[in-house]
Amino acid sequence: MSYIEVKDLSFSYTGKRMILKDISLSIEKGEWVAILGHNGSGKSTLAKAMVGLLEPNQGTIAYDGVVLTNDTAYDIRKKVGIVFQNPDNQFVGVTVRDDIAFGMENLMVPQKQMLEMIDFYSEKVGMKDFLDKEPSTLSGGQKQRVAIAGILAMQTQVIIFDEATSMLDPYARRDLIEYIQKLNQEGITVIMITHDINEAMYANRLVILKDGTIFSDGDKWSLFKQPEIFENSHLELPFSLKLAAALDDSLPEEKAVKDFLWQSISNT
Amino acid sequence: MAIHFQHVSYQYPSGSYQFYQAINDISLSIPSQGEMIAIVGQTGSGKSTLAQHMNALLFPSSGCVDIFGSTIRQKRDKKISYNHLRKHVGLVFQFPEYQLFEETVQKDIMFGPMNFKISAADAAVLAQKAIVQVGLDETYLKRNPFNLSGGEKKRVSIAGILALDPDILVLDEPTSGLDPKGKSQMMELFTAIQKQTDKTIIIITHDMDLVYRYMDRVIVMHEGRLIRDESPDRLFHRKNLAELHLDYPETISVLAAIKAQFSLDIDIYQKDMDAALVELRRAVGK
Repeated sequence: MSYIEVKDLSFSYTGKRMILKDISLSIEKGEWVAILGHNGSGKSTLAKAMVGLLEPNQGTIAYDGVVLTNDTAYDIRKKVGIVFQNPDNQFVGVTVRDDIAFGMENLMVPQKQMLEMIDFYSEKVGMKDFLDKEPSTLSGGQKQRVAIAGILAMQTQVIIFDEATSMLDPYARRDLIEYIQKLNQEGITVIMITHDINEAMYANRLVILKDGTIFSDGDKWSLFKQPEIFENSHLELPFSLKLAAALDDSLPEEKAVKDFLWQSISNT
Repeated sequence: MAIHFQHVSYQYPSGSYQFYQAINDISLSIPSQGEMIAIVGQTGSGKSTLAQHMNALLFPSSGCVDIFGSTIRQKRDKKISYNHLRKHVGLVFQFPEYQLFEETVQKDIMFGPMNFKISAADAAVLAQKAIVQVGLDETYLKRNPFNLSGGEKKRVSIAGILALDPDILVLDEPTSGLDPKGKSQMMELFTAIQKQTDKTIIIITHDMDLVYRYMDRVIVMHEGRLIRDESPDRLFHRKNLAELHLDYPETISVLAAIKAQFSLDIDIYQKDMDAALVELRRAVGK
């Protein structure tokens, strides 16, 4: 059994239109999975269900063999955290310090230990100099780092990023993604909800949602070789891969350019 | 000129949001007709501050802004209503949450027109038209805006401005949070509106592919100053964009890499996939 097991999950807000239909998904510890999908494909709903913010109509979600229910939610939230799209929606503290402390306070971590943890994790995300600042005075990228520190401080093993970079500028986005790479190398399981294929490039595995169901699930390189999968699910491959796909293998000059494009993208 | 900035500077009061950048000595003219204008620059370069001067949401600390014949100076004059300017210049914020507040999508879209004394019946017709324009169907009108997805909220906030039918539209990152298909649909919609009505449309964005493909003019902000005001073509021919924290469009950067690798005689300044492919085939076929 995998560390995360989503089984036959269905969800509807109204009981009529199904947002998620029979989603089953197994994720191992330490994986980096991108959950891709068009607007309205159900990807954010899936993320919310996976942290217990929405209760599925049907199906189960389990972490390390423990099924997520009202009774287990408290313990499971120590294992999995979520970073949202609009960083303003997740701040509760008056200062950055309060904010990082919030999760630990709920877990009743003793104060001395809590202060040490705040120091350690704010340093880790590069925000130690900002502990006395109000979260509202930070930039988008800084806010997301504070959110990550708050999650890490709870010793969380899994972080779900729900379009967490979509409001950042390209530089802040690359910065945050590089940081997430570091976390993943340290063993944190990363689940990235996105419709940006450039962002999904950092994952090892892609799960593509379309209209509330899993349309495709596999290794990113094998999926990239099938451009029709992306087209049929309203996603767009990076320009270099689209160009590569359009080139003709039977012409040596075009084949050379194609190979070069593939090679450059696998080096990034 | 519809909007005219003369040596406009603005400093935020100390202690407020520090990440918003002051702007410095901006002079700029924007016509009411015929242009698709992009404002680009890294976070904190002053783009949003500049945009908020375009319909008197902010008042300059020095200099003045003429907006459709009204001159906006340092002090907000309590006796003057600036409301009519918002009929001339409609602004859509980056985060739709700051703009949506009614209990149904329909009420939200009708709010703007009704504020300008359009009857509820007429405003409802405008809402119906606007919701379809932004790619949603009429069933959305009865829904609660807060239960919508990020992309849907974005569309509703844009519909609200379309229903108001201002002379100039200013949109702060109208495509962030939209999927690729939604992004091109939205840009096609703006292009169509621009063509049909000849309105000026101003878009703040980080997406250089979109700038290259759809815009006529690009304004580059850097550390609160306006440092470039030119055509996208001219901007992307420049070598030092990284210094300004700007990317090149993907078409240009990928073709440039191919050109360097294969020493090809190729024109890398292509705006879309089809044109890039034709040019690449021409170059390798030789």
